[in-house]
Amino acid sequence: MINFFGIRHLSPAGAFYLREFLENTRPELVIIEAPADFEDVSNDIVRPETKPPFAILAYTKSVPVRTVLYPFAEYSPEYQAILWCHENNVPFRFMDLPSETFLALADERIRKIEQLETDEIDETEPVERKPDVYEMLAEKSADGSHETFWERTLEQCADFSAYHEGANLFGAKIREFSEKDEFDEKETKLREIYMRCVIRNAVNGGVSPEKIVVVTGAYHVEGLKTWENDEKLPELPAAESLHTLMPYSYYRLSTRSGYGAGNKAPAYYELIREGLIRGDRLYPAYAYLSKIAEKTRENGGAASSAQVIEGVRLAGSLAKMRGGNIPTLRDLRDAAETCIGEGSFAAVSVAAADAEIGTKIGELPEGVSRTSIQDDFYRLLKDLKLEKYRSVTAQDLKLDLRENIRAGSEKSAFLDLSRSFFLHKLRVLGINFAEYVPSKQENATWAEEWKICWTPEAEIALVESALKGDTVELAAAFQLKEQVEHSDEMSVIAKAVEDAFCCGMSAAANYAVGALQRAAVDAVSFEELAKTAFSLSNVINYGDIRRADCSEIIPILQQIYLRACLVMTGACVCDDAACSAVAQAVNMLNSVELAQNSLDTEKWLYALRETARRDDLNTKLSGLCAAILLERNQMTNDELKTEVSRRLSKGVPADLGAGWFEGLTLKNRYALIARLSLWESLDEYLESLDDEEFKRALVFLRRAFADFSAAEKDSIAENLGEIWGLNGEEVSEVLNAKLDETSQETIDALADIDFDL
Amino acid sequence: MDNSILRLPAEQLFEDELNALIKAEKDPVPEGWRMSPKSVKTYICGGKVGKTVITPKYIGHERLVEIAIATLVTDRALLLIGEPGTAKSWLSEHLTAAINGNSSRVIQGTAGTTEEQIRYSWNYAMLIANGPSEAAMLKSPVFTAMEDGAIARVEEISRCASEVQDTLISLLSEKRISVPELSLEVPAKKGFSIIATANTRDRGVNDMSAALKRRFNIVVLPAPETLEEEMNIVKTRVEQLSSSLDLNAALPKTEVIEKICTIFRELRNGETLDKKQKVKTTAGVLSTAEAISLLCNSMALAGSFGSGEISDEDIAAGLQGAVVKDDDKDGVAWKEYLENIMKKRGAAWSGLYKACRELNE
Repeated sequence: MINFFGIRHLSPAGAFYLREFLENTRPELVIIEAPADFEDVSNDIVRPETKPPFAILAYTKSVPVRTVLYPFAEYSPEYQAILWCHENNVPFRFMDLPSETFLALADERIRKIEQLETDEIDETEPVERKPDVYEMLAEKSADGSHETFWERTLEQCADFSAYHEGANLFGAKIREFSEKDEFDEKETKLREIYMRCVIRNAVNGGVSPEKIVVVTGAYHVEGLKTWENDEKLPELPAAESLHTLMPYSYYRLSTRSGYGAGNKAPAYYELIREGLIRGDRLYPAYAYLSKIAEKTRENGGAASSAQVIEGVRLAGSLAKMRGGNIPTLRDLRDAAETCIGEGSFAAVSVAAADAEIGTKIGELPEGVSRTSIQDDFYRLLKDLKLEKYRSVTAQDLKLDLRENIRAGSEKSAFLDLSRSFFLHKLRVLGINFAEYVPSKQENATWAEEWKICWTPEAEIALVESALKGDTVELAAAFQLKEQVEHSDEMSVIAKAVEDAFCCGMSAAANYAVGALQRAAVDAVSFEELAKTAFSLSNVINYGDIRRADCSEIIPILQQIYLRACLVMTGACVCDDAACSAVAQAVNMLNSVELAQNSLDTEKWLYALRETARRDDLNTKLSGLCAAILLERNQMTNDELKTEVSRRLSKGVPADLGAGWFEGLTLKNRYALIARLSLWESLDEYLESLDDEEFKRALVFLRRAFADFSAAEKDSIAENLGEIWGLNGEEVSEVLNAKLDETSQETIDALADIDFDL
Repeated sequence: MDNSILRLPAEQLFEDELNALIKAEKDPVPEGWRMSPKSVKTYICGGKVGKTVITPKYIGHERLVEIAIATLVTDRALLLIGEPGTAKSWLSEHLTAAINGNSSRVIQGTAGTTEEQIRYSWNYAMLIANGPSEAAMLKSPVFTAMEDGAIARVEEISRCASEVQDTLISLLSEKRISVPELSLEVPAKKGFSIIATANTRDRGVNDMSAALKRRFNIVVLPAPETLEEEMNIVKTRVEQLSSSLDLNAALPKTEVIEKICTIFRELRNGETLDKKQKVKTTAGVLSTAEAISLLCNSMALAGSFGSGEISDEDIAAGLQGAVVKDDDKDGVAWKEYLENIMKKRGAAWSGLYKACRELNE
């Protein structure tokens, strides 16, 4: 008889009793449910430098990349089984399908689902979904959750045989009642045939069945018992693939529930394991609540030991009410909420996240089974002294890109610059390790700020980037090249140019600049031109500090700038919906012109004047151009006065006038508010209106000032008051007085004006 | 049962259920209790024992009920906190009815509650005639609860003055009461505990001291989470009340209950149920308890002056009183709600809308 040990992946009691079982039975061979081709990394798994949680990631070599992930924690029964075998010199074997087959099956499934989605023929009758077996279990159990049921019934088992029998029975029953879809069924069948095959081969290889222990998910125990039947292994689909060990985190472990059984509270499960080792069943209860109290105090809350003691007692009596002797996580959490949080979970939620999930990250020995890009990444991390940032808590990094003149070597003089290049490359690759924080200090071209936080997702993205190149630099170059080649929009190419400069990759930058030159010949919209010019201008601004040669870019910028100046007026014929994009482009181009000395200022001013002057364009944009001219001191007070009275004169529909005014306020408001002549013109305009017109104008002007702050509105009112001969105090008295009833009615009546006339 | 009594205490009203539970008891019973914690939960949340159906007394968060009962099993005191009308007193009454079979050991916390009312006072005639003696002592409900190993209730604890609240501290930590006049120390028997209730709207009136709070396990009772849950509560309670009050009117239809609960929830949450429109909230708390009393009120109107079936006019009168308390703003909010929300709800609501508007003209 072969010894089958049914487990749940990531089960502290399973891991503990499995070791006890192996110790007692002393098998000659242990067969473990894990992809057969992973055996090659098992040597690295048992090295003392390897600290769980870690995972084995398998990924396909070609696009689209499919991945499968096998996470392990300290309390994974499989991990403990491997460790035991290593310590006792007992051989072990992995018996599940090779990962390449899993990947092929996953690919097939995704394709099928995608096809179903595109077909959309399935409208005949909705398939009635049978209740999930876990949902049914939750409904029947006293705890109302299958997770708590498992914890209460199996993790809290008092001895080995209870767990062994319980888990096997649990698996058999789940198997009996679960409903699977076509794919699951097929996959399970294939896996079990393969696993039976491995067991049979082992027995045929001369190991007596009594001396074999098979460690498998409880679900499969029933399926593997028939291993003696001789059956043929069908042909296995395979996708060309690679696999690698990677560090993992408790946080990530808790968010993945797809892996057979959820493991929502890894840090708490670690406490259960600790309790089993200490032989103290109540250890998780003390430890969990003490941790919550500690964290609550750290966060500035009050939590006394007395509260912890009360919490443990309450959890104990809750457990008794719910049919157990030892509190489960749910009981403990209720107790924490009541005794430490004083009835509100919000008060302990941060602490609970820490006590349940934790921030632990795994570690791997240097150079272990990594892809070359991982090696490169870690080498660079060390080289650039960024290793301490590899943690799950976010940290800020401020870079000074200037040369450090006190540094001894060139390398250390430009350390921050190299760091910036490196982090930008990761950003280009979409590796979620460092997040760029736009600098608050304007025009500080030498300062950069990053928020760095290591996540296992970053590691996965890194492994996926292995397809793009063997080093971070090569992969980033490939990525940029792809971006340039697959883009029709000039601004995207310009962005690639900017990125290449940020990454300090001159070859890639030259390539992108060439592509840009070709694209610039084609007709493109004003917005595109402005965006492109903006990107290029950034590159030139930052060029010096990044020690890059910008000489090739300046002529392209000039060319694009000229085009933009020429087409701007035409682009200002647009409706209000398109207007905000154009307005943004106008602002961009203005800042480009201000930043670069090599550009012809007169061309830009001409375009601005033209747009500001003409009546047949979008009035808001005309207003904006006028505002820019004002700001640049290209429009005198008299000109402004004329323009205001012309735009707001009686014949012009009130909404157009207000639109213009709105455009005028888009730029520097304080400059406008301070300009008394403007308000004089506005006053004249208001005076010229009759009552009915005034009401209409009032509504539109109100819109124009809608996003002014209260203080700004007050200063405008004071300006107008000054013109009407009132001093500031009198104005503010009027402004801050409560509306009387007649004014309120008049204002309410404005809502009824029909503007469609 | 004596039908002439306006309101029977819970332990008499549900005597049959309690007896059935005690008879069928299988689990261990804590000292001083009449039934096991599990049975208490069944009594509160409903279920079945043998052939007796146990009606649910508290509908909603069973988890909170479990925490409350488990708290009383350990010797901690229990503090129920919530908005007005979230069944705090209701729950505390039923807990004591199930655990002790006596829900009448109550102290009502008011601004006028004194220390003597929590500890003991004297029959002054006897005190002057015979001097201090145990016979001349008037024991408070807390005192007798300690002697009997039972649970005492303190309602609206945050309405009491701070020094009165603080009297409870020594009682709860020492678990004994001393009568210096008689040089007597009365230790509490096992099973003694206190259930206090406090109102979140009163927060800040007489805030409880940290020392006192620490002696309580705090359970916050929320307003019903969903419309269905609230309707269920209202329906069950209205049925129970109308049979004991002999209202001579037909029970409200589901549509009526739904309308009332919808209006209450929307005005309470400040937005329509589909979350598409904002609504002005009212100053008064529109609790579930208020919805229940509104419906009973409407039934009384219908039974005494109407056809025996609740009409839109009956509800409108009740709604007006419930929503518009003394504040002018409530009147405005209610009118806006009528015009902006109710008017546009179509035919099913038009009768109620018209009836409400008539009262507001």
